[in-house]
Amino acid sequence: MNQFLEVQGLTKRWSADVAVGPVSLQINRGEILALLGPSGSGKTTLLRLLAGFEIPDAGSVAVEAEVVTGLPPARRRFGMVFQHYALFPHLDVGENVAFGLEGRGRGDKGTVARKVAQVLSLVDLAGFERRKVQELSGGQQQRVALARALAPEPRVLLLDEPLSNLDPSLRERTRRELRALIQRLGITTVFVTHEQEEAFALADRIAVLSRGHLDQLGTAEDLYERPATLFTATFVGRANVLRGAAARTLGASNGETVVVRPERLRFATGGSGNGLGGTVVERRYVGAAAFFLVETEQGDRIEVQAAPGEARAGERVLLVADAVHRFREGMGA
Amino acid sequence: MTPVARRRATLASVGLTLVLVWIVVYPIVLVAGQAASRAALADFAGRAAEWRALWASLWISLASVGLAAAVGVPLAFLFEWFEFPGRKTLGSLIALPAVLPPFVGVIAFLFLYGESGFAARAVQWTFGLAESPWRLQGPGAILLVHAYSMYVYFYLLTRAGLAKLDWSMLEAAQALGAGRWRTLVRVTGPLLRPSLGGAALLTFMTALGSFSAPYVFGGGFRVMTTQIVSSKLNGEMRLAMVETIALALVALAGLAVLRRVEGTDLLVALGKGTAPRRRVLRGSTSRASATIAGWALAVVLLLPHLTLLLVSLVPYGTWTTETLPPVLSLANYARLVAEPERLWPLLNSTWMAAASTGVAVALAVAAAWLAVRGRVRLRPAIEALLALPWALPGTVFAIALATAFSVHAPLALRWVLVGTVVILPLAYLVRGLPLTGRAILAGFRQLDPALDEAAASLGAGPWETFRRVTLPQLKPALAAGASLAFVAALGDFVTSIVLYTYSTRPIAIEILSSLRLNELGVAAAFGVVLMVASAAVLGIGARR
Repeated sequence: MNQFLEVQGLTKRWSADVAVGPVSLQINRGEILALLGPSGSGKTTLLRLLAGFEIPDAGSVAVEAEVVTGLPPARRRFGMVFQHYALFPHLDVGENVAFGLEGRGRGDKGTVARKVAQVLSLVDLAGFERRKVQELSGGQQQRVALARALAPEPRVLLLDEPLSNLDPSLRERTRRELRALIQRLGITTVFVTHEQEEAFALADRIAVLSRGHLDQLGTAEDLYERPATLFTATFVGRANVLRGAAARTLGASNGETVVVRPERLRFATGGSGNGLGGTVVERRYVGAAAFFLVETEQGDRIEVQAAPGEARAGERVLLVADAVHRFREGMGA
Repeated sequence: MTPVARRRATLASVGLTLVLVWIVVYPIVLVAGQAASRAALADFAGRAAEWRALWASLWISLASVGLAAAVGVPLAFLFEWFEFPGRKTLGSLIALPAVLPPFVGVIAFLFLYGESGFAARAVQWTFGLAESPWRLQGPGAILLVHAYSMYVYFYLLTRAGLAKLDWSMLEAAQALGAGRWRTLVRVTGPLLRPSLGGAALLTFMTALGSFSAPYVFGGGFRVMTTQIVSSKLNGEMRLAMVETIALALVALAGLAVLRRVEGTDLLVALGKGTAPRRRVLRGSTSRASATIAGWALAVVLLLPHLTLLLVSLVPYGTWTTETLPPVLSLANYARLVAEPERLWPLLNSTWMAAASTGVAVALAVAAAWLAVRGRVRLRPAIEALLALPWALPGTVFAIALATAFSVHAPLALRWVLVGTVVILPLAYLVRGLPLTGRAILAGFRQLDPALDEAAASLGAGPWETFRRVTLPQLKPALAAGASLAFVAALGDFVTSIVLYTYSTRPIAIEILSSLRLNELGVAAAFGVVLMVASAAVLGIGARR
């Protein structure tokens, strides 16, 4: 196998009831892995454990079969981009990027300057060496931070919420550029995000974390189409959660919870027969489709995505599900 | 603002500027004018003692900066970065010298480390010596007191700098392979530069203006402040004026140089980051050593004040050769109230401090309103006039006021105020202006002008808006500025010694005469009263 980065039973305990792990996962060479989860799920702690800023209470981290658990950050040769970039404000762009090159006796001034220029052009900032970091835009600061992390040629690149500090309008473009750059360099990358869309767009595989534990690890499609737990099913993508009679109507057995995506529900023609009866209480038009909020007789509120002309507010409808995910009550919830 | 209101604001700003010029700048200009005679300058330049004193002021101030940094900076790192038992309590206790009048610190030092102080007696007793093992005198003694009282600037400002340091920057340096030393030199140090520069500036200015320590411990060693007062007491007023101008020039030069070192605050420029987390010391050895170091330092730093408290409980004549005092009682405190000649200074200091503070607050509020709300053209001038007294030693203002207001010339706006009850409150007022001005200007800048507009839109006139909207919000700034000015005036020694008369003598002068009469207990009791009153007033002022 091509397992480049291997995490075994990594655990960090903050207090009796706040802990992360044990987490085990393998990451392939050149792979981009997202750590996805709500705030407090332990994703940042996991990233910091990988980086070496936190010392685990148990478990190990290995790169290319070399155990690095006890090594300080720089000795692991992991590059890190911080959430707020942590650029040194008293140094200019070039000095920031050169920081990781100078301390290790990596050649003379000329070599360092050449390397800085090379990395800066990699992030599209050629010629920015003497600029002050305060004068740069948010997107440029992010790229300087990336260049600084990449300059010492790390084995693994770690990114903490890489896009959270950018304007929404800038995010999508930056995301594309970031992915293209990482793929061109072929560097193994782990990044933290709390946004599903970002994880889907940037990562090859996604590790969903919940309350300090690894909930599911898989591709975006795996997580969306084949969620292993109720948590993943509801955290990744839009989901209607149904219990009891409503769940049984959609084919669940006793004690099972049903998760159904809005786009997997449709209005049965005729308005009668085998399905969930209810009334459309709200219609929200979003262009190509519309979201309908349907209130069932039992009082459940269900979101349905359908063509805008399928129903009107106030109309009585019957809902049929094309695909549902069933979970035993309590499992993963 | 309507044209009428604008014209009124302009007129008011002109009036205020003239008042400030009259009390802050005019006296110094008069001194400079009289000092600028060829004979006086030649007299000054020809005396070796003058140059020695000038040089002594300079090197003592620079050495004080170095020593205060050597104590304060490591202390700040210890208390800001490490967690150990007692950290919080000790951390605020060792900031205590900042809030105490300098003169109180000096006499506390005298009682502890002086020739017949506790430390000397203990050493004498331990080794069976016939005489006191040392004399606390000369430049060494002055530096010791300076380091002891001024480390607080470095301690507080470095702690504040460390507290807002973006922790992820240190981690970034670490991730990029920088060791502890390189991180300290290349990242932490440069980021702390504004804090360290600010502390150096404060220490330098305080040391340059320091009078109590050189006066009490200098002996034959003169710095410029003591030189000025001695010239004045010898009746050589012209020489004192030249000396005053020389000291003022050194102060302004120091200010200009250190301002440059301070630089701009880069941390603010880059915005938010991650707050530092205190390192909890896990290893039992490091934990124990941090705890011991913290407590030991705190005890050493607070010992003088505890000594003062102890001495204040020793009745007159009961303590002679013993190592520890045999009798303790509250007799000295009772004497402060019961004996009219002791009660007077207490009352004098209280009313003079209150009056000067009241006026300083009123002037600062007017100035801040005109500068921030009125946006008058004279704003830079008003702000500079408020700040100027901070940049000049107290002795300079004392001589300047003594010069300006010892002549009756109403057309030149000069009256005889020296010898009246007005002169000391006036001196305190000038010295208090930077304190109230800084706090109240900052308070005004934080107010949201939209609230004024909201009040106006609801029908409130300017005065009602000011009284019911602006003033209540300004309360913390007013309290902070007023308490600082009050405490400074209450414990003032440096201007008082030049301008007091017997009937207006304040607490610090009474402490001095008690010391001369060997009434150590009474002197200490006065010191404790000053200490407690200062701490209480500042405590109230800092409450939100």
